[in-house]
Amino acid sequence: MAEDEAIFDQSLKKKKKKKKTTFDIDAALNADGGGGGGGGGENEADLGENNSQAGADDLDDSAADIDLDFTKAKKKKKKKPFAASDDLDGFDGKPEADDRQDGVHRGDQDGGQEDNFDLELDFSLSKKKKKTKKPKNLDELIAETEEKEEDQENGCALVESISETVGENRALWAHSDRDYTYDELLDRAFEIMRDKNPDMAAGKKQKFVMRPPQVVKIGAKKTSFANFTEICKMLHRQPKHLLDFLLAELGTSGSVDGNNQLIIKGRFQQKQIENVLRRYIKEYVTCHTCRSPDTILQKDTRLFFLQCETCGSRCSVASIKSGFQAVTSKRAAIRAKTA
Amino acid sequence: MSIQNLNTFDPFADASKGADDDVQDGLVHIRIQQRNGRKTLTTVQGLSKEYDLKKIVRACKKEFACNGTVIEHPEYGEVLQLQGDQRENICQWLTKAGLAKPDQLKVHGF
Repeated sequence: MAEDEAIFDQSLKKKKKKKKTTFDIDAALNADGGGGGGGGGENEADLGENNSQAGADDLDDSAADIDLDFTKAKKKKKKKPFAASDDLDGFDGKPEADDRQDGVHRGDQDGGQEDNFDLELDFSLSKKKKKTKKPKNLDELIAETEEKEEDQENGCALVESISETVGENRALWAHSDRDYTYDELLDRAFEIMRDKNPDMAAGKKQKFVMRPPQVVKIGAKKTSFANFTEICKMLHRQPKHLLDFLLAELGTSGSVDGNNQLIIKGRFQQKQIENVLRRYIKEYVTCHTCRSPDTILQKDTRLFFLQCETCGSRCSVASIKSGFQAVTSKRAAIRAKTA
Repeated sequence: MSIQNLNTFDPFADASKGADDDVQDGLVHIRIQQRNGRKTLTTVQGLSKEYDLKKIVRACKKEFACNGTVIEHPEYGEVLQLQGDQRENICQWLTKAGLAKPDQLKVHGF
């Protein structure tokens, strides 16, 4: 599921700058902690096998850059390895996503490329997110920065932490001819695979960085979606299609005004629009087979087809229907209008 | 001894019964609509016609402590309408009562 969420990274533009600052911190830490390896070691003690997964996540983080997540996570959050999700969950902001990713990777490493495409009907998600703002404490911060630094030091380090654990494993293997466990072999296979082709798509999650929608209130009853056309362009979709979807989902009416912003009737918050956008992306932008966002939407005999540019698959997508609309305005007013 | 191949089998038996339970694909659409202020409406469209929606709405009203009604719509059939944002409630309730499977439920709105 994490794959299906777009990261609407608030600080998309500032990325570089912030990276630099954190890097300094890293450097300092590095001096203290004696290198990423040492830091990783400490972590390892805490995290145990989690580390390898974390590693996988790190790698994903650094290698691909689509991450479907609307969280306003500033740079820090974004950079943070998903590694220590156990400890970090507290202040994570999007703990669920992390958990899920962990789950996914676990699944992967256990052998099945499990299909985590299920749509969550769970509304508790948003609530959870809200309550997970805790102050970071120093230890966590340090762990975090160390991880970051690892990330940066070797670009495709597929996972420095994996190689750490695997390295140990290997050392063990060297001195005995015991039977290797399935997990060990699997880790090794994955490691080699990723080493050989760092930009391999399989086994890696597709991340998809989106700019967050700018949602502004207009008066008491209307909402403006300021960068609507920009987002359409980023998604390579007709504004009309996205407009239809948004209005059908939100159950209101609206239109694009002269400044290319979308005016929607009703009060909506950015978070809510993000939610709907995320659903749109999942259904109409990402390929249903390989989840690549590089797709074309074609209309063919009344049906919309999603053609993937990466894997070449072609499948039909649901048409947009607004369905039943209850009467929410004053009935007397309607009657007066029609009569 | 009967010969299997000669048994009469009507390949259209399914079709004459009509589509499963819904106008199309058996999905139950749960939508939310904004009213004035922070008031909202939840509509449930596409519940199977076999169910007595009046009874369902009666149970829902009691369970969620909200008002509700059944609306007859020429195109969409009977539609449940509940006051307030009951999307989460109605999803849980429908699955718990076994009226719809979780994968049949489609929640719209923000």
